[in-house]
Amino acid sequence: MSVIEVSGLKKSFGAFEVLRGIDLTVEEGERIAIIGGSGCGKSVFLRCLELLEKPNAGKIFIDGQEITAQGVDIDKIRRSMGMVWQKFNLFTHMNVMENLTVAPIKLLGMTKDDAREKAMALLAQVGLTAKADAYPEFLSGGQQQRIAICRSLMMNPKVILFDEPTSALDPTMVGEVLAVIRMLAKQNLTMIIVTHEMNFAREVATRILFFADGEIYEQGTPAEIFDAPKRNKTVAFIHKLKYFNYEISERHFDLMEMQGGIQTFAEKYGLSARRTNRIQLSCEELIYEMFDNACADEIKIEIDVTYSEVDNSVEVEFTCAGKSYNPLEKDFDELDEEHLGATILKSLAQNYSHEYDGGTNRIKFTLA
Amino acid sequence: MDFLDLLYKIFVKDDSWLTILNGLWVTVQISALSLLFGTLFGSLLCFFRVGKFPPLKIAAQVYISIIRGSPVLMLLMLLFYGVFARTGINPLLVAVITFSMHTAAHVAELLRSALMALDKGQVEAARTLGFSKFQAFKLVTLPQLVRIAKPVYQSTVVNLIQWTSVVGYVTITDLTRVINNTASRTMQPMITIMGGMVIYLAISYLVYGIFHWTERRRAQ
Repeated sequence: MSVIEVSGLKKSFGAFEVLRGIDLTVEEGERIAIIGGSGCGKSVFLRCLELLEKPNAGKIFIDGQEITAQGVDIDKIRRSMGMVWQKFNLFTHMNVMENLTVAPIKLLGMTKDDAREKAMALLAQVGLTAKADAYPEFLSGGQQQRIAICRSLMMNPKVILFDEPTSALDPTMVGEVLAVIRMLAKQNLTMIIVTHEMNFAREVATRILFFADGEIYEQGTPAEIFDAPKRNKTVAFIHKLKYFNYEISERHFDLMEMQGGIQTFAEKYGLSARRTNRIQLSCEELIYEMFDNACADEIKIEIDVTYSEVDNSVEVEFTCAGKSYNPLEKDFDELDEEHLGATILKSLAQNYSHEYDGGTNRIKFTLA
Repeated sequence: MDFLDLLYKIFVKDDSWLTILNGLWVTVQISALSLLFGTLFGSLLCFFRVGKFPPLKIAAQVYISIIRGSPVLMLLMLLFYGVFARTGINPLLVAVITFSMHTAAHVAELLRSALMALDKGQVEAARTLGFSKFQAFKLVTLPQLVRIAKPVYQSTVVNLIQWTSVVGYVTITDLTRVINNTASRTMQPMITIMGGMVIYLAISYLVYGIFHWTERRRAQ
C-alpha cells in the first residue's frame, strides 16, 4: 500500500487557484523533492497533506486512510506524519527535552523514562546531547532545526514532510541540517522535501517533482529533471533562465527605452558592461538592418534576450515580419559602407541562424 | 519629637489606625473581587471578540470601545445613581460591578493583543504532531499567552487599585475616603494625604512583588 495517495487535489484562496489538480502516489521508502519557483503551490501542497489547509476538491489518502473524508480522526493520522518547518516552530516555552518528549508521552502513552531515553538517542545522532536542557531561544537556527527534526522523529512517523527546511537558515548552518536529512535518507525513511537546494535535491531524492502553475509540471528521476528537462518551464527553472523582451511596432520607436531596458536587465543579473554593450549594439544594428531591408510599412519586431545564470550565456532571439532577409547572408570580404551594421553584427554574433517562415524572419544568435 | 507626636495623632490616636485599616480593607475587597470577575468576564469577552460569530463579535467590540473610551467614574455614577438607584443595592456591590466591567474591557483587549503576538506556527507544529485543537491550546497557546500578557496585566491590576479611589463618590468609605476624612478632622492634609499615598504605593509594589515572584526563572 502506498504511504500517500493524492488524486485531483485542488486548493484556492479566494479567486486565486493555487493547486489545480495534483495527482501523486508515494510508495514506502521514496524520497521526493519538490522544486519550483516561489508561489507555485509547493508549500500549500504540503500543508494540504497535513490538512492544515482544507482542499477544495480531491482526495488524500495517508497510509490507506482518507483524510479528506468526513468525520475522520485527523489528530490520530497526523501522529504518523512528521512535519519540519521553515521556521522550526519549536515550543519556545519548553526546553529541548520537553519539546521532544511531550508528544510521545501525552499522545503515544510512552513513559517519561522511555521518552527521555529515546530523545537522548536521537539527540546523540544529531550531535546535540549537550543541549538537552537548553531553551530554543538560546540555540542557533541550525541547532533548532536539528531538534525540530528529532521532535518529529520521536513519533515514529511513516513519512516526514520538510517544508523548505533550510530556507530560514544562515548559509553557514545549511550544511548541518542537510547532513541530518541525508542521514535519514540512508535509513530509507519516506520523505517529501520542498527545497531550493538543487544539489541536495539531486543527491538525496529518488524522484523530483517540478511544480509550476499549481500542478506537477514535470517529474522524473533527478537525472531526468536536472540533466535533461523536457518542458519549457522546467528548462527555464533548472538553467535559471532570465528573460528580457521588447516589442517594436513603428519605425520611430523609442530606442532609448529599449537600451535602458537592456541596461536594467543586465545590471540586475550582474552582466559585465562589455556584454551589456554588445547586446545593445547587436540589437540596435539588427533593428535598423531589418527596417531598411525586410520591413514594409507595418513594423512588427520582437526581441527576446535570454540569460542563463547557470551557463552564464546570453541568447538573443529576433523575429521580424516582412520580406525574407538575412543580414549576414552577404559576402563580407570587403568592408561595406552600406552594410556597416551587418558587419558589426557578424563580428559579435556566435551560433548565428536565420529562418524564414510564414512571413516572419527568425534570427537567433548567442553573445560571448 | 513634635513630628512623631503629630504622626501618632493623625494615624494612631483614637483608633485612627483601625479606621484607616477598614478603609484599606474596602479598597482591597473591591479591587480583588473586580479583578477576579473582570478577568473572567474579560476572557469571555475576548473569546467573543476574536470569535467567528458576528453578533457576539460586534457586541464585544462595541462594549470594549465604550468602556475603554469613557471614564470609569462616569460608569460608576451611571450605575449607582441611574441603573441601580431604586434597588437599594449595597454600594460596595455597585462598585464591584463597575470595576469588573471596566477591568473586563481592558483584559479583553490585552488578551487580544497577546493572542495576535502569539506565534501561530507553534500551534500548527503541535497540531501536526497529533495534538487536538484543545490540547494544542493548553500546551502552547495558554502558557505563551500568559507569558506575553503578564507585564500588561500587572499594570492593569495596579491601575485598577488606583482607580478604585473614586468610589468615595458613591458613599463608600474606602482608603482614599478615610484619608480625606482624617485630613479634615486633624487639619493636617499634607502629612495625612502623603501617608495615604505611601499606603497605595505599598500596595502597588506588593502587586509588582507578587508578579515578580511568580515569574519563574528560566534556565540558560
